[in-house]
Amino acid sequence: MSQVEPAVETQEASTFSLIDCDVHNYPNSIEELMPYLSARWQAYVRQSGFSGPGGPTYPKGFAQAARRDAWPPSGLKPGGDPDFAREQLLDEWGIDLAILNPLYGMTALHNLDFANALMRAVNEWTADTWLGSDTRWRGSIVVNANDPKNAAAEIKRVSADRRFVQVLLLVRSSAPYGKRQFRPIFAAACEAGLPVGLHFGGSGNPITACGWPSYYIEDHTAMSQAFEAQLVSIVCEGVFCEFPELRLALIEGGFAWLPGLMWRLDKNYRGLHSEVPWLKKLPSEYILEHCCATTQPMEEPKNPQHLMQIIEMIGRDEFLLFATDYPHWDFDSPDRALPPVIAGDLRQKIVVDNAVAFYGF
Amino acid sequence: MASRGVDLGAVEAFADGDVQRVEAGGRGLVVVRRGDVFYVLRDICPHQGARLSDGQVTGQVAECSLGGEAVLARDGEILVCPWHGWQFDLCTGRSLVDGEKNRVRSYPVRIAAGRVLLELD
Ligand code: FES
Repeated sequence: MSQVEPAVETQEASTFSLIDCDVHNYPNSIEELMPYLSARWQAYVRQSGFSGPGGPTYPKGFAQAARRDAWPPSGLKPGGDPDFAREQLLDEWGIDLAILNPLYGMTALHNLDFANALMRAVNEWTADTWLGSDTRWRGSIVVNANDPKNAAAEIKRVSADRRFVQVLLLVRSSAPYGKRQFRPIFAAACEAGLPVGLHFGGSGNPITACGWPSYYIEDHTAMSQAFEAQLVSIVCEGVFCEFPELRLALIEGGFAWLPGLMWRLDKNYRGLHSEVPWLKKLPSEYILEHCCATTQPMEEPKNPQHLMQIIEMIGRDEFLLFATDYPHWDFDSPDRALPPVIAGDLRQKIVVDNAVAFYGF
Repeated sequence: MASRGVDLGAVEAFADGDVQRVEAGGRGLVVVRRGDVFYVLRDICPHQGARLSDGQVTGQVAECSLGGEAVLARDGEILVCPWHGWQFDLCTGRSLVDGEKNRVRSYPVRIAAGRVLLELD
C-alpha cells in the first residue's frame, strides 16, 4: 500500500438517500492478484497452477451465484468490473455509499503463509482497483481468521486507509469466534476503530449442526444457524465484555430468527448465568447494544405485517441496515425489497441513518 | 397493627443447611437454616411454580473478568430452584437475574423461647 494514505472523499451524510451495506467484488482471476504477491508466491502460483481457493461445493442457482444481467459486456466476471458495477448498481439506484465485501475464501487454504499472502493481496487489490475507481465505494478488510495474529497485523496495516470501514469474517469458521484464540482480531478491529462484519459463507465447518446437506437451497436457508451459533458464542464467551466498544454487523444471515434466539439465551441465562460470570447483563442486551444486521436476503413473510412484528420484537429501530448483495442472484432491489409497511422514520433509518451511525460515515 | 408471630416449630427441628417445607397461615413456605439465621420464602418459584423446598442451597459465583478465577461468594445464601435453576437470594427473595421483576416473597423471622416465629403483618 502507498505510504500516503488516500483521503476519504464523501458528501455530507445528511444528503444521503441510500447506503448499500453488502456488495461483492471479485478478482477476475488469480492474475489480478499477482502484482500484489511476492516473487516467491508468484512462482508458487505458476508452478502449482493455483487458480483460486475452493470451488462451489454447492453449485449455485446461477453461474458465479450472480444475477444473469450482472455479467459485464467487457467479458469480465460479475463483480469483476468496477465501471460496470458503478453503472449497474451505484448510478442506477442512486447509492451514495456501498461497502465492498470481497468473498475470497483464503480460509479454505491450509497453508497459512499462502493464505496470508493472498489476504494482503486482496486488500491491496481492493484499494487499487475498486476504492480508487469511485469515491462511493468503501472497503472491508479481509482477514485470514485461521491465523488471528497475522490477521490482526493486517487490520493494523490496512486500517490506515480510512476507506476501509470494517473487518470481514466469514460465518462458517473453524471454531466459534467467541473462542479466545480469535481475540487478536477483535482487539485489532477495536484498536483501529472498525466494526467487524460477519458475512454469509466460509469454509470451516458444515453449514448445519448435523452435517452437510445436499443442496444449495439447504445451504442458503440454513446459513442462519451459523449466525446463531456465532452470536451465542461471541456473547457467552465475553467478547463484548472485553471489548465494550466492539460493533458487530451480521451480514446476509437474516434477522427473523433473532427474537427467538434472544428469548432462548436470556431464559437460559437466568438459570445458568453462574457459568459465565463475566456477563454483567442479559445476553440480549449485549446483542442489541453491539450488533446490527443487514436486510438482504429480505425476510418475506406472507403477511408483511409480520415483518413489522419481528422488528418490534427485536426492539431496536436502529438494528437493520439495508443491503443489496449485488451482483448475486439473490440481490435485493432498493425500491422493492422493503415492503411498504416499512415506512417513514423506520425506512429512513434502515436505508441510511443506521449505517451512518454504525459505520460512522 | 402489631405483628403476630406464627410458630414454625422448634429451632432444633431445622438442621443447619437444610431446606425444609412448612405450612403456616395457609401458605407453603420454605425454611432454610444457616447457623443461627433462618430464612423463610414462599415455597413457590415465580417462574413456573416449582417448590423451592426441593431446591439446593449454594452461593453466588462472583462476577469476574473473562478467564479470571471464578469465586463462589455468599455460600449458603442462595437457593436454586429445582426446575430451571433460577437462583434466589435467601435474604431478599430476589432472583440473581432481573431481581426487580423476578422475586419470591420473603418473610422476617425471629427466635423466641427456642421457637422459630414468622412475622406476619
Ligand atoms: S420453576 Fe423455578 S426456575 Fe423455573
